[in-house]
Amino acid sequence: MPFLELDALSKHYGPVKAVDDVSLSVEQGEFISLLGPSGCGKTTTLQMIAGFVDATAGRIRLQGRDITHAPANSRGLGIVFQSYALFPHMTVADNVAFGLEMQKVERAERARRVEQALALVHLDAHAGRYPRELSGGQRQRVALARAIVIRPPLLLLDEPLSNLDAKLREAMQFELRTIQQQVGTTTIMVTHDQAEAFSVSDRVVVMQSGRITQIDTPYEVYEHPASEFISRFVGKTNLLPPATDGGPQRHVRPEKLMLKPAGQGRADATIVDRFFLGSQWLYHLESPLGPMVVVQVNDGSPAHPPGTAVALDWDDAILRTLPEGGR
Amino acid sequence: MPRNGSFAILFNTLVVMFMLAPLVIVCLVAFTPENTLSLPGWTWSLRWFRKVFEHPDFVTSFINSLWLATVSASLAVGLAVPASLAITRGNFPGRQALEGLFLSPLVIPHLVLGVALLQMFARIGATGSFVWLALAHVVVITPYAMRLLIAAMTGYDRSVEHAALSLGASRLTVFRRITLPMILPGVSGGWLLCFINSFDEVTMSIFITAPSTITLPVKMYMYATESIDPMMAAVSALIVGLTAATALLLDRIYGLDRVLVGQR
Ligand SMILES: Nc1ncnc2c1ncn2[C@@H]1O[C@H](COP(=O)(O)OP(=O)(O)OP(=O)(O)O)[C@@H](O)[C@H]1O
Ligand SMILES: [Mg+2]
Repeated sequence: MPFLELDALSKHYGPVKAVDDVSLSVEQGEFISLLGPSGCGKTTTLQMIAGFVDATAGRIRLQGRDITHAPANSRGLGIVFQSYALFPHMTVADNVAFGLEMQKVERAERARRVEQALALVHLDAHAGRYPRELSGGQRQRVALARAIVIRPPLLLLDEPLSNLDAKLREAMQFELRTIQQQVGTTTIMVTHDQAEAFSVSDRVVVMQSGRITQIDTPYEVYEHPASEFISRFVGKTNLLPPATDGGPQRHVRPEKLMLKPAGQGRADATIVDRFFLGSQWLYHLESPLGPMVVVQVNDGSPAHPPGTAVALDWDDAILRTLPEGGR
Repeated sequence: MPRNGSFAILFNTLVVMFMLAPLVIVCLVAFTPENTLSLPGWTWSLRWFRKVFEHPDFVTSFINSLWLATVSASLAVGLAVPASLAITRGNFPGRQALEGLFLSPLVIPHLVLGVALLQMFARIGATGSFVWLALAHVVVITPYAMRLLIAAMTGYDRSVEHAALSLGASRLTVFRRITLPMILPGVSGGWLLCFINSFDEVTMSIFITAPSTITLPVKMYMYATESIDPMMAAVSALIVGLTAATALLLDRIYGLDRVLVGQR
């Protein structure tokens, strides 16, 4: 029996199918990401699981129990809202204690668990502050502590890191994953950032216009995307002509193409532009096959200046064709 | 270090003086020993204050007004909180109409309301009834609370309430522990505005108060139509003093900006 099961779940607003026939099974302890472009129905899906949006059709089962229409305050889920949604008139400690108070946990035990949860997110020193006295990242962590302190069977995170700067974001991704593994809570995270989805999830659920278009491990989604749309959503890609006339088009990711001296590869190309990414160089090239992008590890040697004639080479084994009918 | 230019300071000084001057003058006149409305010279006197308290009907009407303003402001806010919640949150047909209905007393002249209510009260035998007087006040002051509360509630992040629900709080608990504290500045500001409007209301009240329910402004108006002596100034001075004392007290206990603006 799956831990959480979405069975043909739909939410329609008049003619708008915000979520359409979504089915998903989540195992206990799994970290799942809902990934997709803006407006594809990620938040709506999460809100139906949370109980703030009533499903038009379909079922939600948590640990075998049908909770499709159960009131939100009876579900006992931990939720981190995109907007933090901290209680502005309560201190950090009171925010975190609120759920325990609702569970009628007695005072001493409550204080102990609040302290523990705040320590987990490295905020024990800020227990007495009000939310407005915290930075964005600190508020985010309070929201996380408030959600996990009630030891929910399921944690729902709606773009929990979207408002953080790159550095803090990466640190928080790592922290999220660590906390999730320490506590072992089944987690569903909404994001539109593929790197974030890849780095923390066991499986990625790709959504597009209200429907699920792929469910796979991050590696599979990147290496074997189910459609050209997904392929381009999760990374850059190059199109190569079919191997045989009338055969399917082939794809290759920019880091899997090799740059060789002119005349020594399988296609000639000219460097049009180059971008320095720190650990890598990103090249835009012009070739008889069309425009190409190539990513090369920055190994310390000087980069090719624009205008350089080079050759492209690749290993046939890493070429991908997309499934028939995939769009 | 002044951050305002000298022109801005001058302008603000003029505005404050323009608003305060009549109040200051009325308070000064209250201390005159003369029989006419005149500024006191070298000798100041409390005779007009003494005279106020020799008129027990002034004291009664003051208590009437206080009581009336308290009751009707509380009723108005009690009505405006759920109504503005429904208007800002709800998604039902007739929402706009409901808002219009609640705000409509703002555009009806109190004179017209007074005449209409006078006739209605006579018909239903409600003349001299404190309850009906209070209800009439509720009608005219509720819009003030509505305006403030609707402003406080729009742009309010519902996900905070959702967060409380998800943590297991009942709807009542969410209202008591989350919603109410967050809209408290709107509630207290609305109450105060209602109180002041009720306490101050004279046009409509002239028609619908009876001797037993007469309010201070009506009493003052009636007194002033018969005789002009500095006792009116003394009454006004007393009200100004009382208001200032209340404001100071509130500020000491809660901080006025916290109550009215919501800064903590
Ligand atoms: N209350 C509503 N009434 C009508 N349409 C709605 C409502 N809520 C959402 N929608 C529509 O449903 C679709 C899915 O919305 P949703 O908020 O789930 O998107 P999302 O994937 O979370 O997007 P984002 O990444 O921008 O947050 C959108 O097209 C949106 O316009
Ligand atoms: Mg969203």
